Amino acid sequence: MIEPAALKLKLKEQIIQYLNLKDLKPEDIKDDDLLFGGDLELDSIDSLEIVVLLEREYGLKINNANEGRKILIDVNRMAEYIIANKTDL
Amino acid sequence: MYIKDLSCISPQQTYSQAFLQGRIEHFKTNHYLAAEPSYEELIPSSKLRRMGKVMRMGIGTGLPLLNKYPETKGIILATSEGGVEDSMNFLNQVVKYQEGALTPTNFVQSTPNAIAGLLALMTKNTGYNVTHVNKGLAFESALTDASLFLEEEPGARLLLGGLDQFSVYNYNIELLAGAYKKHFVDSSQLLGSGSPGTVCGEGSAMFIVDSQKKGALAQIKGVGQGSGLSLAELMERLRALLTSSNLVPEDIDAVVLGYNGDSETDTWYDKVRQELFPHQAVYSFKNLVGEYSTVSAFALWFATQLLSGFMPPKEAVLKASGEKPKRILIYNHHRAVQHGYMLLTV
Repeated sequence: MIEPAALKLKLKEQIIQYLNLKDLKPEDIKDDDLLFGGDLELDSIDSLEIVVLLEREYGLKINNANEGRKILIDVNRMAEYIIANKTDL
Repeated sequence: MYIKDLSCISPQQTYSQAFLQGRIEHFKTNHYLAAEPSYEELIPSSKLRRMGKVMRMGIGTGLPLLNKYPETKGIILATSEGGVEDSMNFLNQVVKYQEGALTPTNFVQSTPNAIAGLLALMTKNTGYNVTHVNKGLAFESALTDASLFLEEEPGARLLLGGLDQFSVYNYNIELLAGAYKKHFVDSSQLLGSGSPGTVCGEGSAMFIVDSQKKGALAQIKGVGQGSGLSLAELMERLRALLTSSNLVPEDIDAVVLGYNGDSETDTWYDKVRQELFPHQAVYSFKNLVGEYSTVSAFALWFATQLLSGFMPPKEAVLKASGEKPKRILIYNHHRAVQHGYMLLTV
C-alpha cells in the first residue's frame, strides 16, 4: 500500500509529465492548489489529459463530467479518489 | 501578387538578422534541425507547452505577421506532413492502449490544418482558411490559391506560408527507401558529394501578400507546377512561365535551384541551367536548410532577400554575379517527380 504522501508526490510528477508543465517541479504544486481556476491555469483540454492519466496510470475511468468535477479539484481529492477506488496500490 | 512582409524559421538563423548578416550554420548530420527562437514573449506558456514543433514554428512565423497586419483576409498554408510527430504519437497510442485512453493534445495537433486553424483562433481571423497538403507541390498550390483569391478580391491581403518538421519516423522509413544519404556528409560538401540521396530539413516561411505594388519587397509574377514531367515538358513549362510575363530566359538575372546533393536527381537542375540559363547567376539553398516537402517556401524567402540586396553566403553561390538581381526564377523538384517553379521580380 502506497503512503498518501508518496501517492501525492507521484501524482504531481505525473500531472507535470502529462500536461508538459516544464516550468514546474512537484514541490511547486501544493496538495490543495486548485487544478482549475487557480494559479496553475489549466483548461478543459488539461482536464481530459488528467482523465487519461487516471485511466492509464491507475486503471480508473471517470465516466461523466459530474464525477470529474468532484475529483479533479486538487491533488488531495485525486489521491483520495485513487486510494478509495484502487485496491492494488 | 506582391510580397509585403516575411518571416522564416529554418536551420539557419533566419528568424533573427544573423543569417542575413552572414552567420552560417554548418551541419555534419543528415538532418538539419530548425533553429527555433524563444517563443515565450509571443505565445502564452499555457498554449506553448502543448504545441508540437511544426505548430511552434508556424505560430512563431505567422503570428507576428498577423499581429502586424490585422486586416489580413485569409490564411493559406502548405504543409505536407503537418504535425507528423503528433500523428505518430497518436497512432501509436491507438495501438498501445487498444483505442482506449487517448490524449487529446496529440489528436488535436495531428491534423495538418491545425496550424492555420490555431493562427486564426489566436488572431480571431474568420476569413478564408485553407491548408494545402499535396506533398512536394503543397506550397506551389498554396501560392496558386492565394493568386486566385487576390484576383477575385484585389484589395485583400493574405498570410501565405509553407512549413514542415523533421520526423524521426518518416526519416527512418525514407532512409530505407533511399531518400537520404547513408553516410553523414558535411553540409559544406553536400552538393559535391556525388552520391545518391540527400539530407532532411525542416522550417517555416511565411509571407504577407496582396495586390498592391506600393511598399512591396518583391512581385511574384507567376507560379507553376507539374507532376511526372519529362525534361522536355519541364523546359516547355519554364519557357511558358517566362513568356506569360513577356520574358525570355535571357531576361532572367539569377536562378535559385533546388540542388540537394542527390547525384541521381540533381541532373534536372544541371539541364535547366545548361539549356535555359547558361550565363545567369545560380544559387542553391538546400545545402543550408535540407530537403523537405515545402522547402520551396524557403526558396521564395531566400529569393526575396536576394532581390532586396542580400549578399548570399558563399555556400549558396554556385555561379556568382556582381549585380543585384532584378528577375529571379526559382525551380525546385521533389524527388524528380513533382516540379514547381516561380518567377519573382523587384
